[in-house]
Amino acid sequence: MFRIGIDVGGTFTDFLLIENGGDNRVYKVITTPENPARGVLYGMKMMAQELGMSTGEFLQNVSTIVHGTTITTNATLTQEGAKTGFITTKGFRDCLNMRRGLREKKYNPKQSPPLPLVPRYLTMVVEERIDCDGQEVIPLHEQGVYEAIDLFKKEQVESVAVSLLFSFFNASHEERIGEILRTNMPDVYITLSSEVLPQVRVYERNSTTALNAYVGPLLDRYLKELHTSLTREGFKGTLLIMQSNGGTMSLELASKFAVNTLLSGPASGPTAGLFYAEPHNNGNIITIDMGGTSFDVCLIKDHAAAVTMEGQIGNYSIATPMIDIHTIGAGGGSIAWIDSGGMLRVGPKSAGALPGPICYGLGGVDPTVTDATLILGYLDPEFFHGGKLKLKAELAHQGIEKLGEKLGLDKVSTADGILKIVLMNMADGVMEVSVKRGYDPREFALVVAGGAGPIHATAIAKVLDIPLIIVPRESSVFCAAGMLLSDLKHDYVRTYNAPLGEHDLAKIKELYQQMQYEALLTLKSEGIPQERVSIFISADLRYIGQFNDVEVPWKGFNLGDTVYLLADAFHHRHESLYGYSMPGSSVEFINLRLTALGVTDKHTLSKYPYSSGDPSPALKGVRAAYFEGKFLETPVYNGLKLQYGNLVTGPGIVEQINTTIIVSPGYRLYCDEYNNYIIQSESFKG
Amino acid sequence: MVQASGNLDPILTAVIGNRFEAITKEIGQAMLRSSRSPIFSEARDFATAVFDKYNRLVAETAYIPILMASLPFAVASISKSFESDINEGDVFILNDPFAGNNHAPDITIIKPVYWQGELQFWSATKGHHVDVGGGGICGYNPEATSIFEECIRIAPARLYCKGEYQKDQWEMLLNNIQLGYLVEPDLHCQVGACKIGERGIRALLAKYGPEQLYKVIEELYNTTERQVISEVAAIPDGTYYAERYLDHDGVNKDAMIKIAVAIEVKGTEITFDLSRSDSQVAGYVNSTFPNTASACFVSFFTSIETEIRFNEGALRSINIVAPEGLVVNAKFPSPTVCCTISTGTAIVEAAWLALSQAIPRQVQAAWARWCAPTTIGFNPKTGRIFADIHFMCKGGGGATYGYDGWDHMGVVICSGGLRAPDPELHEMVNPYFLLQYEYWPDSSGAGQWRGGMGTVYRWRVDAPNVAAANFGGGVRKETAPFGLDGGMDAPPHQLSIVKANGEMIKVDAETFYRLDQGDIFEIYQSGGGGFGRPFARPPEKVLEDVRNGLVSLEKARKDYGVVIDPQTYQVDTESTFMLRAKLTT
Repeated sequence: MFRIGIDVGGTFTDFLLIENGGDNRVYKVITTPENPARGVLYGMKMMAQELGMSTGEFLQNVSTIVHGTTITTNATLTQEGAKTGFITTKGFRDCLNMRRGLREKKYNPKQSPPLPLVPRYLTMVVEERIDCDGQEVIPLHEQGVYEAIDLFKKEQVESVAVSLLFSFFNASHEERIGEILRTNMPDVYITLSSEVLPQVRVYERNSTTALNAYVGPLLDRYLKELHTSLTREGFKGTLLIMQSNGGTMSLELASKFAVNTLLSGPASGPTAGLFYAEPHNNGNIITIDMGGTSFDVCLIKDHAAAVTMEGQIGNYSIATPMIDIHTIGAGGGSIAWIDSGGMLRVGPKSAGALPGPICYGLGGVDPTVTDATLILGYLDPEFFHGGKLKLKAELAHQGIEKLGEKLGLDKVSTADGILKIVLMNMADGVMEVSVKRGYDPREFALVVAGGAGPIHATAIAKVLDIPLIIVPRESSVFCAAGMLLSDLKHDYVRTYNAPLGEHDLAKIKELYQQMQYEALLTLKSEGIPQERVSIFISADLRYIGQFNDVEVPWKGFNLGDTVYLLADAFHHRHESLYGYSMPGSSVEFINLRLTALGVTDKHTLSKYPYSSGDPSPALKGVRAAYFEGKFLETPVYNGLKLQYGNLVTGPGIVEQINTTIIVSPGYRLYCDEYNNYIIQSESFKG
Repeated sequence: MVQASGNLDPILTAVIGNRFEAITKEIGQAMLRSSRSPIFSEARDFATAVFDKYNRLVAETAYIPILMASLPFAVASISKSFESDINEGDVFILNDPFAGNNHAPDITIIKPVYWQGELQFWSATKGHHVDVGGGGICGYNPEATSIFEECIRIAPARLYCKGEYQKDQWEMLLNNIQLGYLVEPDLHCQVGACKIGERGIRALLAKYGPEQLYKVIEELYNTTERQVISEVAAIPDGTYYAERYLDHDGVNKDAMIKIAVAIEVKGTEITFDLSRSDSQVAGYVNSTFPNTASACFVSFFTSIETEIRFNEGALRSINIVAPEGLVVNAKFPSPTVCCTISTGTAIVEAAWLALSQAIPRQVQAAWARWCAPTTIGFNPKTGRIFADIHFMCKGGGGATYGYDGWDHMGVVICSGGLRAPDPELHEMVNPYFLLQYEYWPDSSGAGQWRGGMGTVYRWRVDAPNVAAANFGGGVRKETAPFGLDGGMDAPPHQLSIVKANGEMIKVDAETFYRLDQGDIFEIYQSGGGGFGRPFARPPEKVLEDVRNGLVSLEKARKDYGVVIDPQTYQVDTESTFMLRAKLTT
């Protein structure tokens, strides 16, 4: 049987195919943005062909497909989601579009306000009100709902979101509105805030609910189409969808909770990172993934990726848990420029794929990071994209030279400067997820992926003093690999506000039980038996009077005894995050959280026999590359020929299709028994 | 093109500059996420910075811009006061506006950062506390006629000495503050945040050593100075003068107060001269020099087009003249608490009006001023005293050439940095029931680019005997947001209290009120001023605003000359053309 991970990205659709007891195979096809299902099916046909099977025969032997998609992300970023209506409490019509009144770039007057997800004329209010104790103060005036329906029908709205004040304490009004909508608008996609995110904070809940409505119909259509096509071709297995929280879910749930797919593409990176790091380390890693325009970084501590409840996509907030992947505008296509004070800067603007860097020869005129790497000898102009795109080195030289004249630097120093700046931006990105959160990056291994990542890996590690770097051989389809390693995962939350010590333990237990019941039922519907379910609970706590909370895991289910341990854990976490704690102060609950995992079967890494320390059988040539102020004659190796035990001492370059690894002087790379690359500083003892 | 000078590596300079800025954000995160005062946790009314050992500003994040130039005065004052008696492990505090602070509620807390036994840098914070004693509410006392009615004055003092907690100092301070249960943890929060900054700065010192860092920061200052100078040089030479008014000072309610700014540009030099402003007044709108300076910087930095690192280099490249004894630089013992939000705003407005004569397309029309109460009382439900500023109530931003103003932004001295608190958490903590919180239709100034929308904010009081200090202004035509280049003014704010018995009280600027169970406080906060002639706004844009209920049919016709069919919501193109032609002549 086969299992397939599919990552539909902006440019390429990546596949990782795993055969029971067999090898892993990597495939890439061009993404078909107008209908991504086409690209996926094309890939299936290609795989079948290579295996010498008919598509039907092949698909009948596929047990599981795990699929990550950027369809909802792109729809949000390009504002091409469904025409959405929004219903909220009378008097609070604009809380969604007010966005809490922030304008991040405070000093720049030349900015347009962000476009609303739902225009005001499609935002309808109904007379009703629940108070902050969950009591009904004004009954629901159903007339208002029917008026909204009339307008929505007239405007041919495809999706409706409902988010009322304090519905997380009392959902009866929302549920009734849901009933009326479903009866009267059966073909319309309905989202209730009490189903998507029963949690305090109006804007964040409204925004999450509206986003779900905005992307839901698209995802629903796409998944149905994909499933139908696959089934028609013979697929009978399980199709799972990657979620932003790093877990997977069934098709049905994905269609209902579409907002949970907004980070579906990169969210499996951390899982992949852990998998490749497992033989070398204790579960503390930082993954970096560098492509053409962006640099994604994620910190994983004790085998768990950081999760945020304050995610953003475009200008919109998402308060459902997402893997905390920090993205900065630093990629191969990032443009170098000089500001009005004469300082060299790099990015966040990118030349993208078209026109791309100057050296692509496709009309790009702005010098980019890729141009700089070419000048410094890190890239082989003949072997870019496996030789499919011949780079025009002379154009890159001219472009960088021109930039350098303005700085009074020669072209090599300029190119080196560009890399140093982008390197610092990336290092700051890594510090953002580590140092800023109280973690020392030196205690983590760096797992490097993406087309441009391995070029900069040793340089980043050097800046941050990170002793161990891991570059998976499948680093170019890193996320597709991670998808096959992810469990089913569902997050639940209930707002519960009471001081520790005055809390009602029976109520807390009841809320956790509600969530657990819902979790077990959901996982059962996805075919997961109870013995494969793992439950984790946590609480959001804060000192009384604070406005933000700290999530603290609640180990064990014996709630009564552990409440005070929970408070201790809170004080400690507070101290490390904010530089102080106040153990004498009262602490209060704000939210209770539960995460349920449905554990799936996973493949393991295959081991290869030891060869020797000598890498010379893989040597394919020598070229000059720039390290620490001078060009050195640097050996270049064919990565696919490197074997377990082979040791490359820096300076060195390892090339695979779509991957170039630069080993700086002072570092050594060796191929481990799983055929992955391990890079260490020569001073590292471990 | 200006070239990077000296023998320094321009790359390393950029790298270290970025790192210092990142450190100020790390300090800020600790404050933002852990403080108790809604004023700094929710509304982000604070600033964080790193200073060098000569008290020069290295990097800063002013979460609200009116704090941008105020910290340097406070740091210099503390440093001078203790001079040879600064030790590793000390933490200093200051709030006295007559000892270098901007205004009393913004408490400054700073920590010296040592390296190998020597003072190298300062990690600095400043945040608006929910209480600093005195007779005001959250510091606001519109009836004060001296600083003694506003606060406990904290001269430069030590909270920690060589790492030792100074119990006497803490007690002296907290014993004079009603809301000590919120202020005490927020002082700890600032101390903790300073430590976070210290951690980052020490990591830099370990990596580069003080000598190299000092070379780099000199270059950072020079770079910024060059940038500011090149921006100044781009402004045509001349003297540009404008004035704006404050509604009154809270004490003499019949007298508006003049704020006058003359901006003189000569080559690469720029001077903000406020000498023609009124003399200092009885009430708390008197400004301190640090606040006046900050307001001038806000007006300038929001009117130039590049992003510039704000540091010593910027501070030394602009001259500010504000003679002592004027409302823009009041003498001891004047009350000054409202200088940030009221007087700071009027200074920015006057400076923008002046700049608009020189660089008309770069300047924004006026934003809505601040006008809402801070309240204090006892919440029977939680059994605690509560205090809050109603920061949901945010007016619209002003339009500028090419861009509509932003909706629901709040006052210009925050420039979009003020985050509205969450209404649900607000109800859970305070004895208030919110009735309405949405855009106020027709509140924006019309223009080719219209002002941002203002806000309607109404709530019912569910506890007896709540005290309210309504602070800020903009309740009359003269102080409402102005339009620019033919854009129209926005209307003044309208505030009132509807008593439980039905009586309606009109609420004035800078005034105390008492609220009782069942009273309804109503605020209609204006939108921003418009930019450019309204008739030049494309009719489709006007239609969109009408369809969205932001602009009424009448206003579309009257202000924009656009005729829309109320049945079909179509623009009547011919009537629009005729009407615009007729109204133009």
